[in-house]
Amino acid sequence: MVKNLLSVIAALLVAAPSLYAHHSFAAEYDGTKPVKVTGIVRRVDWANPHIWFYVEGKDEITGRTAVWGFSAAPPGMLARRGITKDVLKIGDTIQVEGFLAKDGSANASGGRVTFADGRQVFTASAEDSAPK
Amino acid sequence: MNMLKPFISILVIPAVFVCAATPGGASAQAPAAPQGPRAPDGKPNFTGVWAGPGFAHTVGPRDTDTPRVVAYDAKNFSPVKPGGESFLKRKLSGNTRADDPTAFCLPNGLTRQILSPYAQQWIQSPGHMVILYEYMHFFRAIPIGAANRPHDKDIEPTWMGDSIGWWDGDTFVIDTVGLKEWMFDASLDLGGNGEARWHSDALHFTERLRFADPATVSYTVTVDDPKIFTAPWSQEFGMKLHPTWKIFEFVCEENNRCQGGQCADSEGQKK
Repeated sequence: MVKNLLSVIAALLVAAPSLYAHHSFAAEYDGTKPVKVTGIVRRVDWANPHIWFYVEGKDEITGRTAVWGFSAAPPGMLARRGITKDVLKIGDTIQVEGFLAKDGSANASGGRVTFADGRQVFTASAEDSAPK
Repeated sequence: MNMLKPFISILVIPAVFVCAATPGGASAQAPAAPQGPRAPDGKPNFTGVWAGPGFAHTVGPRDTDTPRVVAYDAKNFSPVKPGGESFLKRKLSGNTRADDPTAFCLPNGLTRQILSPYAQQWIQSPGHMVILYEYMHFFRAIPIGAANRPHDKDIEPTWMGDSIGWWDGDTFVIDTVGLKEWMFDASLDLGGNGEARWHSDALHFTERLRFADPATVSYTVTVDDPKIFTAPWSQEFGMKLHPTWKIFEFVCEENNRCQGGQCADSEGQKK
């Protein structure tokens, strides 16, 4: 049941990746610096103006290892699309694709999340550059 | 404006590859019969939770819709006056507080707010139209009265301006002046042009809303900014009613971690 629901959610999100930030993407992230981190979910902050989730792992593009912070859409926006904070569980292994924060810290826009079973969820904000 | 035209193509920022679906093929010419719900006073009833122009209006299973980033389409603009470019197109400075103040949780301002892809709840009474915007929790309480009546004198410019409303047949008209010079829309760095659009404090902004069908509203705005444009111009958007939606809380300051491009330390990253 839960798996079916998640499949529906994933399908919806793959079809419609356009969520929205409260500001422009360029204000905080560098669209020329993609990241692709695979790791373990360590923390989820389900709060406005963007949810944040933290993944301990390695960016396969730069080789950098860190506890990465990923910013995504606001909780209400996600809830309206049927996504609750249960979608990301502490201890899950996920891959996140996004773009590095302008200050170069281990933070990024969290565009596409791929779970170990292949499900994909777009958690990004609409003004974020879409992962290729 | 040719109101029989389909909804004018909506400029979607390239990062968002969503088709500009048009809501319902709305026509704002006087229909043969009234459409949409009616209030007890016989006026069209806009009460409800709506997906405004910032959505694709492709209603999916479980009453979903697709939020998208929408900006005003330059194809609709009137010619720009000499000197108007400096208002309309601001070169980005690299200072986020100046380039996109919303990153610091400052308001969108009216012209950008109405395009925000968040829900909005309209509550109609004979004397007021109240609009509750989910985004930033902004609201408008628009008094309804005589058409084309004057605004209050000596209005101090604000982000949402001074709005008054009236009925023009079945069309609800919102007339706004007193707007602070501010960002026009979310077209920051559109196509990497290094610019952001702003409007001036002389902007006179008119919104005209009319039901196209019981769940769809034609939403036409007219921009009259004499410091920028040689003449008023219009663009038509839409709104879609979502019976199951509600307004969610949005508190921008709660965890705005990377404002200005500088990310604050987080508990989530402490070893």
